[in-house]
This record gives sequence, structure tokens and C-alpha cells, in this order.
Amino acid sequence: MAERLATLVGLYALLGLGYQIVFGQLRALNLAQGALFGVGAYATALTAEQIGPFALLVAPLAAGAVAALAAPPMLRLQSHYFALATLALASLINLVALHAEGLTGGANGLVGFGVALPRGTTLAIVVWLVLIAAVIAYAFVFRGAMGEKARLLREAPLVAATLGIDGALWRFTAFVVGGAVAGLAGGFSAALTGVVSPEATGFSVMLLCLTAVVLGGARHPLGAVLGAAVAVLLPELFRGLQGSWLLAYAAATLAVVLWAPEGLAGLFTRPRAATLPRPIAPAARPLHLVLTGVSKRFGGVEALGDVSFAVERSEVVGLIGPNGSGKTTLLNVISGLERADSGTIVLDSIGLEHLPPHAIARLGIGRTFQTPIEGESRGAGLARAVSNGAAFLLLDEPAAGMTDRERDALAHWLERLRRTRGIVLVDHDIELLTRVCDRLVCLEGGRIIAVGSPAEVRADPRVRASFLGVPA
Amino acid sequence: MAYALVALGFVLALNAAGAVNFAHGDLVVLGGAVAVLLVGWLGLPGILLLPLVALALAAAGIVAAHVAILPLARRPPEATFVATIALAAMIEQGLTLTMGAAPHTTPPFLGSGAVTITIAGAGATLGLQPLAIVLVGGVLVAGLWLLLERTQVGRRMRAVAADRHMARAVGIPVARYVTLSLALSGALAGIAGFLLGHQFLVTPTQGAGHMLKAYIAVALGGWGSVPGALIGALAIGVFETFVSASIGDAWASAALYIAVLLVLTVRPRGLFGEPVGQRA
Repeated sequence: MAERLATLVGLYALLGLGYQIVFGQLRALNLAQGALFGVGAYATALTAEQIGPFALLVAPLAAGAVAALAAPPMLRLQSHYFALATLALASLINLVALHAEGLTGGANGLVGFGVALPRGTTLAIVVWLVLIAAVIAYAFVFRGAMGEKARLLREAPLVAATLGIDGALWRFTAFVVGGAVAGLAGGFSAALTGVVSPEATGFSVMLLCLTAVVLGGARHPLGAVLGAAVAVLLPELFRGLQGSWLLAYAAATLAVVLWAPEGLAGLFTRPRAATLPRPIAPAARPLHLVLTGVSKRFGGVEALGDVSFAVERSEVVGLIGPNGSGKTTLLNVISGLERADSGTIVLDSIGLEHLPPHAIARLGIGRTFQTPIEGESRGAGLARAVSNGAAFLLLDEPAAGMTDRERDALAHWLERLRRTRGIVLVDHDIELLTRVCDRLVCLEGGRIIAVGSPAEVRADPRVRASFLGVPA
Repeated sequence: MAYALVALGFVLALNAAGAVNFAHGDLVVLGGAVAVLLVGWLGLPGILLLPLVALALAAAGIVAAHVAILPLARRPPEATFVATIALAAMIEQGLTLTMGAAPHTTPPFLGSGAVTITIAGAGATLGLQPLAIVLVGGVLVAGLWLLLERTQVGRRMRAVAADRHMARAVGIPVARYVTLSLALSGALAGIAGFLLGHQFLVTPTQGAGHMLKAYIAVALGGWGSVPGALIGALAIGVFETFVSASIGDAWASAALYIAVLLVLTVRPRGLFGEPVGQRA
């Protein structure tokens, strides 16, 4: 009895741990995790008689394969469409389990394969060894830089992309690995009960998994283990209550979502101060960033028209212009968040026009955004942009909202950064720009109206009229 | 047409909350269950029962808003997903405990008092209940359209749905309108549950199915679009009727899910797209 419970806790913890990768780390509401558990259970049941205990290894392969097949179209979807697609996939798997009687035994399910599989104490030990290994692997993977990358993907996908993080690859890997882990848990559950019925693919497994992860803590390495222990053991304790334990579950989940968003595990651990990553010095190359004839339209509006200029390493180029003149759009086009309609953007000899944002970032272009990520200071964005050794920095209004002292500090900091990097600086503070920039480029209506040294550009009559508000 | 009511309620809640209400299907079932209970206690005819069910479920919608939606307004939408999934499970289990897992049937909307009419109606090619569903559905859809498009309250509801920060900035009490939307959404769900319950019976576990169909209708019709939801729901109804006639219920559902996956593969933002940009 105790053995059975221990095995149950272990295998649901494993299911939940797989779910933490997708739901906890990437915040993707995958509603097919329960069905993938079922796929694993069926895979083990179907192969146990032929290959014995190795059937347990078939489970993660089968579930991982189903996840990998379904993943490419689904991972492009945004939050609620992703949830819907996974829900449809889960319903489909459930229907197959119920109605493909030749393969799955229909509503009666499969029985009689259990003798070929490890049972009792052996099974309990195997499950817990696998679980412990998985928890350690999870904690190790998401401890340092990987954990921080996952946080960025979750909180600010665009920032992640401009730091060179390939979100699509991450989501694919998480979905498939999470699914494979669910399948393994399903295989264990088939070994434990000796029966596999369509219920294994049903929504109640999904609900249990979600409950366990939310209860325990969606990201903490021990979250799923704690959650599974509570979710499995509590109903056993309150067996007298019969069906109402499911009601209690749901109520508990709701309470945790409302009042303890980090879950039970979050109640025990205080957040630790992050260790500062050592900044990486930029590599010797690339040396030049050259824009030629870059144009971009949004519908009928010309956001950028025939913009050409170049930035060298150890040079600071200031980008000025009235609001709506295309400054941020230009930065977006360089970093790949928007596509230019025409023109070329070349880093040394590599054309950037058709590369995805993460690839551009990896070639050595870092950037900051006007709005910081919630809960972070503005400095965090700057620190992140320089932390990965980008040779060129695109800074979008770093001085906005700063006090005079902070502006001084920023100017000093830019002086240090420019020794090894090329910088494009968008700002409205013309005094700051005059101090730190070698050249200024003034945009109006998406077109360059003046280029030159700060003194030249400030003296230009068109710049004075359009931007500085001084009559020519 | 009953799907349309389910989907319309769903889209109202969706717009107001900015996130999927996974408990919506269970509110539909709850509507059916309330109708069953009320008829047991009071023995009222269907036509009088309807407003009572609507009121009861409007109250349920308000509770849902205060428990699972308003407290999570500042958190990512996934928090609301999980909270409403939990709420859905609570309703389902609560109903299983109180009325058992066995199916119940709700009284017909027209009839009961006038048995002769029911018999006459049954004799005709059009059943009386489907007729009632189309009638009530049509009236409610028209009423909802009038409310949203032609009244100040409706304009404010749409403003909250479009941009809650902007709505707050121009002085609309956002929380009150979210609650109001959820109450309306609950009432629509309740009426749908009551009307569906006569033909398709009421069982506690149906909720997920209702929710999934509304979800599909809304995703296909265009996220957050009221007419889109209507078209999506009618399309699902037609699809199911024709496909299940030729290949059976189970495989019709399977075909529906496959169709959804295919549509999302080709059009990741639904058939008619979604005019929402991405922000940093």
C-alpha cells in the first residue's frame, strides 16, 4: 500500500516535472500533457509482451514522437491559440484511445501486460531514481544563465530575441522533452496498475498534473514533487470524503493561484540575489555596420525612406528627430524585429535583412528598449545588452526619465563602452548627445535631413526648425 | 443556435477578462442543473423558468468574476486560465456530488402546461424545442447586438474589451463593467444550458465539451469578435450535423479537432485574423 502510494507520488511528480519545463519555464499552457502521459501508457502496454521491461523506454519515445510531430505548427501559436491547439490534440488522442478498438482495446482498454514489467518495490525504486535524476537535471539546467534566458522568453520575448535567444528552438525542445517525460510517467503508471484505459488520456490526468504543478510551484525544482505528494496523498487521507476530494483539489488550486503564485515551494525559499554575469568583451569582428537605402512602409505611411549611414567600432552615432520620425523603427529594422521593404543592412560582409532577430543578435548587435521589463530598473536592460559581447549597441532613449546625475553616469559609461564597441544612440537630450556623439543623424518623416558633427547638425537650419524648435 | 448562445457568452467573458474563461462550459451545465432543480421545487413551466435560470447564472457569473478573474487582472492571462480551470472542476465536482453523475433532463421551453401543442409540434417535421431554441436564440442575439451597438452601456463594455487601460483613463469603472459582462455571459450560458438540456440531457461532465466548442467557434471566427463567434458557432453546428450523419459522432468530433489544428496551422490567428500587434 505505502509502496503503491510512493510509486504514484513519484510518477505524478515526474509528469509534473515535465510540465514545469513547458508551463513553468516558458509559460505555455500546454493542455496535451495528460494525453501524452496516456500515449506513454499505451505504448508500454502494447510492447510489454514483446520486449519486457524495455517497453518502459518505448513510452517516452512514443510520447516525444507525438509531441514532435504535433509541435511545428502549434508552437507558432500565441497563448490562447496554443492552449486551444493542445486541447484539440488531447481530445484527438482521447478519441483514438476510445474508438480505435483494434489498437487500444476501446473503452475496455488493455490488460494482462503487467507481468512482463517491473512491479512492487523494484518499480518504486526505479521511479524514484529516475525522478531524483530528473529533478537534479532540471535544477542544474535552469539554475544559471539558462534560467535567466527562460525568464526573458517568458516575460519579454522580443528582448530575448534581440539577445540572441532562439525562442522557437526553446519552445520546441521544451514541448518535446516535457512530453517525453510525461510519456515515461505514463509508462510507469501502466506498469503500476497493469491496466491502461482511455481514462489515462483524459482530462482528469491533465487536471491532476496542472494542480500538482500550480500547488507545488511552477518553476521550483521541487515544486512538482511537493505538489504531487499533496495531490496524491491528501485524497488518500480523506478517502471517506469520496468524490469530494476532487472538489477540494480544485479549491486548493484556486487558492494557491490567488494567494501564493509561486506555489508551496515558493513559501519555503526566499529569492536569492543573482550572481552578476561577467561581461564578455566583444570579439575582434564585426567592424562595420552599413545601411544603404533602407525603406519601410506601414500601410500608407512611410516610416523610413532611403536611409543610409554607417557606424564603425569605437564610434557613437546619435539619432535625433521629432516623435514619429522613424528612430525606433530604424532600430527595429536593424535588429530584425521589423523587416525593411528595401535596402541593405550589412555587418562586415553579412546581409542582415532576412535574418531572424536572434541570429542578428548572435552576430554582434545588442539593443535596449524604451520600456523596461516589469519589475526591473532601466539599467537592467543596458546591462543585459552589453553582457553578451555585442560589438554594436542600439540604445533606445536610455536617458529618458533619468536625473542629471544619472545622465552624467550614463555619459561616462558610454565613454567606456565606446572603446570597444560601436553605438547608435537614440535620445532627445541634445546636450547629452553633443557630449558623447561623434556624429548626429537627424531624421524627419523617415528621411535623413542632416548628418554631421553635433555642432554642424545643431547649426543646420532644417534641424533647428523641425527638431530644436528654434526659428532658422 | 444554442452553440451560438454558448459562444456569445464565451466571447463576452473573453473580451471582458482578456483571458479564456475555462469555466464557461460548466456554467452552461450549471444552467441546465438549476433548471432541473427549480422544476423539482416549483414545478414552473419552461417559459417562467427561463428568467429564473438566467438570473441564477448571472449571479454565478458575478461570483466567477470576483473569484477567478478580477483578482488576477494584473497577472499574465495564464493565471486566469488556471484559476478558471480550477473553478470549472469545482462546478463539475460540486454538481456530481449534489445531483449524481446520471443524466437529467430539463423541461421543454414551450409546452408542459399545454400538452396538446407539444404533441402537435412533435407531429410536425420541426420539433417544438428546436424551434424554441432558434426563437429564443434569435431574440437574445438581436438583443445583445442592440445592447452592444446601440447603448451607452454597450459602448462602454466594448471600450473595456478593446483597451482596459484607456477605458480606465477616460473614467469608465472597469471592474464594474467586467462584472457586468460576466453576469451577461453567465445568463447566456444558463439559458443555453436550459435549452440544450431538454434534448441532450444534463450531465456534470459535459462542461469541457461545451467549452471546447465555444473556444473553437471563437478561435475560428476571430478572437473577441462577436459576429465572428456567431458565424463560428453556426459553422460548427452545420459541420457536426453533416459530418456526423455520414461518419458517426466520434469521428465527426475527431474531424472537427483535426480541422481546427489544420486551420491554426495555416492561419495562426484564426480564420479571420486578429488585429492585435506584438509589443516589446
